Amino acid sequence: MRHTLLTAALAASTLLTGIAAHADQLADIKKKGELVVGVLGTDEPATFIDPKTRQIVGYEVDLVNAIAKKIGVKPVLKQIAVAARIPELQQGHVDLVAAGLTHNKEREAQIDFSLTTFVTGQKAIVKKDSGITDVPQLAGKKVLTIRGGTQEPNIRKAVPTAEVVTFDTSQQAFQALQQGKGVGYVDDEAALLRSYAKLGPQKAQYVVLKQNLSTEALAIGIKKGESGLKAVVDDTLRELEKSGEAQKIFVKWYGPNTASGFQTRDFKLESDKID
Amino acid sequence: MPLFDYSLLLTGKYHDMLVAGLWLSLQLLAASLVLALPIALVVALLRLSPLAPLRWLGFAYVESIRNIPLLAHMLFWYFGAPELLPEGIKQWLYAGHIEAYSAIIALSLYTAAFMAEDIRSGIRAIPTVQFEAGRALGFGFLGTMRRVVLPQALRVTVPPLISQTLSLWKNTSIATVIGVAELMYQAGQVESATFRSFESFAFASAAYLSVSLAITGLATWYHHRFPVRTI
Repeated sequence: MRHTLLTAALAASTLLTGIAAHADQLADIKKKGELVVGVLGTDEPATFIDPKTRQIVGYEVDLVNAIAKKIGVKPVLKQIAVAARIPELQQGHVDLVAAGLTHNKEREAQIDFSLTTFVTGQKAIVKKDSGITDVPQLAGKKVLTIRGGTQEPNIRKAVPTAEVVTFDTSQQAFQALQQGKGVGYVDDEAALLRSYAKLGPQKAQYVVLKQNLSTEALAIGIKKGESGLKAVVDDTLRELEKSGEAQKIFVKWYGPNTASGFQTRDFKLESDKID
Repeated sequence: MPLFDYSLLLTGKYHDMLVAGLWLSLQLLAASLVLALPIALVVALLRLSPLAPLRWLGFAYVESIRNIPLLAHMLFWYFGAPELLPEGIKQWLYAGHIEAYSAIIALSLYTAAFMAEDIRSGIRAIPTVQFEAGRALGFGFLGTMRRVVLPQALRVTVPPLISQTLSLWKNTSIATVIGVAELMYQAGQVESATFRSFESFAFASAAYLSVSLAITGLATWYHHRFPVRTI
């Protein structure tokens, strides 16, 4: 509720003040000497707070740092809520949003997107004794997930008759699954595998369903029409891909030696088109 | 893109979601109110009981509930309390609308604590001679309460009880945290699906305001129809 109220307040203020026209955001960023980026900070390993240093670190942070370096300014990370991502960007409170943001057609009317920075499938996890082995079997069952993202609409699309119950945080939703308050829990693959890893010895009681509910292209959000800024962001990402740096960053946060444990990287930072 | 898109609120899928939310909120209000009133009356009587242990029981109930935020109650009745039940009952509960049941229990117990205090004040507003007169006529404690004191006290209590009902109505929105698809929840869902934050929350605000005003109107009508008898 916290973030929805915030967004409501933001939306209200947009209506009252109107959206101020900017000549060129890139010039403004250079002038103020900092690139303000909205991040979640609660989404390990994309952006999260390092328990030792208390700094926000992660996959998306590394990408953002490279962009700031390219522009020649200081990166400033600002934690925002899931539902506040797009309003914060439209309001100009942040220059970019690197917050597990799914690039989809509906959102293209609202903001621009960088090259795809991550491709993830959304998956479901169920208790073994539920006997469910396939996504369609979730029909008519209670499915738990986090609120405000694309998870809920995607479940409804994949399994229209599922009864979806959503929570403020993925931890709450996952706890509800553990208590048996629903048969399945849905999240992005990387986040889901992380929760699954935390189960420890209890892992044996759960199954991650193989089939993807959807494939999500994540990207960095850019305010609509800021072509100068978009060009710098995309150039940086292309260069990271070319130099092999993108691969290194991926392995560092998602690779085989991390809790996410991805063996391969099935995407490249090369396109801003989605299906 | 229009500045304020009325069509979103008047027809279609999002309209249906918001109306479903409003309806569920009203159901939460009704169920919680029906449960809270009798609990409140019993607790108020416990607090005024001539027996010290009963008075303590009432005191403990009111203070332990009133001094903890409703949000904590909600989370406790959803994530905590049902886990203590035997496995069979638990499974049966979890298969049903455990979210709504937990919310109703949390709201009723919470509201009852406040209402109990209002009813107790109402009873205390009736001059003690009334109670003594009842006892002198040979009625017991409960008999005196039922026949002499409560009929007068409850009239005095209606205005503060209406005020508690207003709080209860607004508090139903907190059920969002345990995944109950009430009005605030649906407004959030519509927002994340459409990014039309202003429209969805305008609908929610207007709905909360209208129902609140209707409750206030009811209170005013009651006050005219059944004025407090001069004591």
